Amino acid sequence: MNRGTGGGGVAAGFSLLFFSFLFGPLIIMVITAFNSSSFPRITPWECFTTEWFGVLFANDRLMSGLLNSLVIAVSVVAIAVPIGLAGALALSELSSRLRAVLYTVLITPILIPGVVLGISTIVFWGALGRSVGAEYGSFFFDGMFLTLAGQVTFISAYAMLVFLARLQRFDPILTEAALDLGATPGQAFRKILLPFLGPAIGSAAFLTFLASFENYNTTVFTILSGNTFTTALASKVRHGTDPSLSALAVIIIGITLIGAIVHEAHTRRKEVLRTGIATRSRIYGNPVLKTLVHPLTVFLILAGIAGLAAWQGTRHDASVCKQQILDDKRARQHELLEEQRRKMQEQQKTTAPVTSPADAAGKANPSPFGGAFSPNGLAPGQEEPAPAAAPTDAPATANPSPFGGAFTPNGLKPSQ
Amino acid sequence: MPGAVSSGILPSVFPVPFSRLSESSMATRDIVLDHVSIRFGAYTAVDNAHLVIKGGEFFSFLGPSGCGKTTLLRCISGFSEPTEGRVLIGGQDMKGIGPNKRPTALIFQNLALFPLMSVADNIAFPLEVRGIGRKERRKRAEELLEMIALPGVGDKKVHELSGGQRQRVAIARALAVEPDILLLDEPLSALDLKLRHHMRTELRTIQQQVGLTFIYITHDQGEALTMSDRVAVMNAGVIEQVDPPETIYNRPKTSFVASFVGQSNAIEGKVASQSETLVSVETPLGRLQGRAAGGRQYKTGEDCILFIRPEQLSLGDGLPNAIEAKWVKEEFEGNARQMFLEANGVPLRLSRVNLGGTADTLSGAAMPVGFEPDQAIVLPHGVLAGA
Amino acid sequence: MQALRTALKEIAGKHGLGAAAFVGIAVLIWVIFLIALPQIAMLDYSFRFNLPASDVGGPQDVYTLENYAYFFQGNDGTVNTLDIGILVRTLVAAVFVTCIDIMLCYPIAFILAHSATGVAARMMVIGLIVPFWVNEILRAFAFRVLFGATGLINGVGMSMGLWDQPVDFIRADVALYSGLTYAYILLMVFPIFNAVEALDRNQIEAARDMGASWWRVHWRVVLPVAKPGIASGATMVFMLTAGALAAPQILGGPSSLWFTQLIYQWFNESANWQRGSAYAVILLIVCISFVMMLMRVFKVSIGEIGR
Repeated sequence: MNRGTGGGGVAAGFSLLFFSFLFGPLIIMVITAFNSSSFPRITPWECFTTEWFGVLFANDRLMSGLLNSLVIAVSVVAIAVPIGLAGALALSELSSRLRAVLYTVLITPILIPGVVLGISTIVFWGALGRSVGAEYGSFFFDGMFLTLAGQVTFISAYAMLVFLARLQRFDPILTEAALDLGATPGQAFRKILLPFLGPAIGSAAFLTFLASFENYNTTVFTILSGNTFTTALASKVRHGTDPSLSALAVIIIGITLIGAIVHEAHTRRKEVLRTGIATRSRIYGNPVLKTLVHPLTVFLILAGIAGLAAWQGTRHDASVCKQQILDDKRARQHELLEEQRRKMQEQQKTTAPVTSPADAAGKANPSPFGGAFSPNGLAPGQEEPAPAAAPTDAPATANPSPFGGAFTPNGLKPSQ
Repeated sequence: MPGAVSSGILPSVFPVPFSRLSESSMATRDIVLDHVSIRFGAYTAVDNAHLVIKGGEFFSFLGPSGCGKTTLLRCISGFSEPTEGRVLIGGQDMKGIGPNKRPTALIFQNLALFPLMSVADNIAFPLEVRGIGRKERRKRAEELLEMIALPGVGDKKVHELSGGQRQRVAIARALAVEPDILLLDEPLSALDLKLRHHMRTELRTIQQQVGLTFIYITHDQGEALTMSDRVAVMNAGVIEQVDPPETIYNRPKTSFVASFVGQSNAIEGKVASQSETLVSVETPLGRLQGRAAGGRQYKTGEDCILFIRPEQLSLGDGLPNAIEAKWVKEEFEGNARQMFLEANGVPLRLSRVNLGGTADTLSGAAMPVGFEPDQAIVLPHGVLAGA
Repeated sequence: MQALRTALKEIAGKHGLGAAAFVGIAVLIWVIFLIALPQIAMLDYSFRFNLPASDVGGPQDVYTLENYAYFFQGNDGTVNTLDIGILVRTLVAAVFVTCIDIMLCYPIAFILAHSATGVAARMMVIGLIVPFWVNEILRAFAFRVLFGATGLINGVGMSMGLWDQPVDFIRADVALYSGLTYAYILLMVFPIFNAVEALDRNQIEAARDMGASWWRVHWRVVLPVAKPGIASGATMVFMLTAGALAAPQILGGPSSLWFTQLIYQWFNESANWQRGSAYAVILLIVCISFVMMLMRVFKVSIGEIGR
């Protein structure tokens, strides 16, 4: 931090707060993946477990969605990157007024809400399909095709922005030089401009892949009755959660971190080699250290660590600890019920209640989390039973909170 | 050309004689600019350029920035077409022939070396686009690298080379095209002073060695005068004079050329009389005599300018064309001293070779100066450079 | 048209016929089949009745304003306060989230551009990007873990005795606003960063040197430079927040719907695509006019978006 411009401590403090906001939720989520509690949480900590990874991989819907997502993402990269490139090239050649118009047209898909894009895509291709008399099995009504069309519409614009930024740094004299040296315009394009755009093609491909893989708003409409990884994930989150999602987050964050570190190693290496201080640098001058900081070595080491952790994880057995927790819970539950009964008896002495509080709560909320988590009126049906919240931190007094369901006896059965 | 350059900092000569793959195109070809005008809308960038550049010549276009010299060069190389007139190379009209089909190669101001390619790939690029095989390309690139005295740098990246080395690589790449004409667009402007002087000599050496036509664009008169066989001085789209460097300097044909090329004292006045080539001019400094440019006949009373170079002005009494001047200031330039004088409101400049000693003249001191009538030149009144 | 032809000719001359054909065809497909026609089709659809498949194209398939009328008046002709209320709430919430993002991101962008150096700056950039490689759904899920009734905040709060019953952050929309603020931070930081980075550090130092307070330096020197970046970032964050679906579905309280959820319901639960289209058109028009209005107020052009 530079005292001359930054107000030192304040800047550092703010940055620290900012980044804890960015990383805090992720870190907590990662930790919950290893807690045996059937609801993702840290407090109270029950047992260290790796079983949620198994639960994750056993989820067929998620896994088939993953396959769909990969197919779509690869196709989107293959289509959106060339289209984005074409858009950027067109913009770079247009006169300034027309350029502003085309830029506005091409950038709007980024600004249009994804929901709107998804709807317009299915409506348009559906209408087109009907007007040519296509059958319902044809691609006009195929979720994969529609998702591809819908995603390419706006993801191409992302790719275009990447290419525009790179093209701004291109010296058009280089193309002229190539022409002057006898290259045809096509040769100049392939041998000079395209190689220059090379890094941008790489980052555009990465960006479009990620954007496609992550997309929810458009895809949830265009995939129709099918599923991508993200839509399957979303419906799972909406309809009840368990730490297998945290386990997924662990995997994704792990991959991301490895990617980021390897990328950082790569940039540093390139920079050191470019500036030519390699021979003077302490690290790059030493052959052992030099190999050690090579991106490939870094990747292999990190992948090795991750693999080792996974292998260790599969051998970990938390059943003893879990059994103990379960026994504790049962004992505590028993205690609570006893207390409950005693209180009710006391109450019955004064008033004459018709229903027990536990039953009332149970009726109000057919699912333990329904009231709290499923947004109003949105497909209240659940695909899998939501894991019950343990009652330990719930107050002993009966109240109509969404956790009332926890007091019903069947809520105590361990899920799975 | 061994020993042609004596510079301690750089390998100076090209040790290997330049060889060409095909001898047929060796025939020197003239370039004819046939009444070429180039207009952008209402703006005329080049106005009726009409000249012949002979094959094998080192020809320079000299002029201030914006005078249309780069436009003309782009027209010769094929990046633009003339609005009027024709460009002929070797008798063939170049209309509709793109830059990649013309027998010209252009060296750009910023060199335009391809940053992502190695040095050898840069040099071999013209061969690559002509479909010549990898081995042959490599061999040819090595030959050219040897020619520009940079053997063994083929695998380096462009940014690893020094400015002067890049310069030479750009030349080698252009030569790989085997052009008949090499066009150079101020290629030395990015170099530092010492390197620039060195490269002047080197460029001239290459040109004589390979026997190509060089067309050189510059705003630096030193470059134009030292290297060229002939120089065309341009101003505001018009070619003012085409002549060998010495003629340009000693016998300028227009007031612009006289004032743009080298330093000159310009004294405005009216023609009083003329006998043969000697013209008497009535000026604020009295009646002065000079040579009529190109043997021109002046009318009495015609507006004219008398030019006298600072180094032709001498100090002392009793000289011809005596002027009573006052000392204003003096600038020390190492090898010379520039003395700034003033006479009757007209600033004068006088330069002397530095023979040691210091300046101790007081401001306003009287300084009688004069010059031989034959050294001064009288031109019709016209535009002055930098005015 | 003439200008288009000139541009294509220019491309052909510079990059070859193949490249020109590729650029022409790709841009045309993109603009016509992916951008323009789908929007037009949706607009057309929104003016039609929801008919059984057999009646489509029949005599009953005529244009109607009924879908829009429903948004304003409901079924019974009175003002549809429920749906209009949801739209207004969505817009207000999106503005709120956008403002929070500006306040969070402006200092970070400035620190990144002018205070952080070398390794620290690089780590900050990585730190900014890495969380956004994690799936959007999982990021929302993380907030649910954090804010849930048995989540960390309730757990810590109660064990420290700050409150004795779980606070329902979800019902109070705290989780939703936090999640939305988090979701688009990156899109706010980088436009502001790009704008502020262009500022010459000497200008800040000169202003400081002349005795300006920190507050004044930012207000008079930095903020004017950052303005296009803030506008660009705010436009994107606002549009994405107003159009968000995943976060409201996952983090939204039971009593408050997001307008996109309404559209979703028309499509997936009521199977009334026509009305859903009409609602989508309404969302689009309202959002775009809102952004255009703000851009006019702050005097920024759309050409600066995405820079």
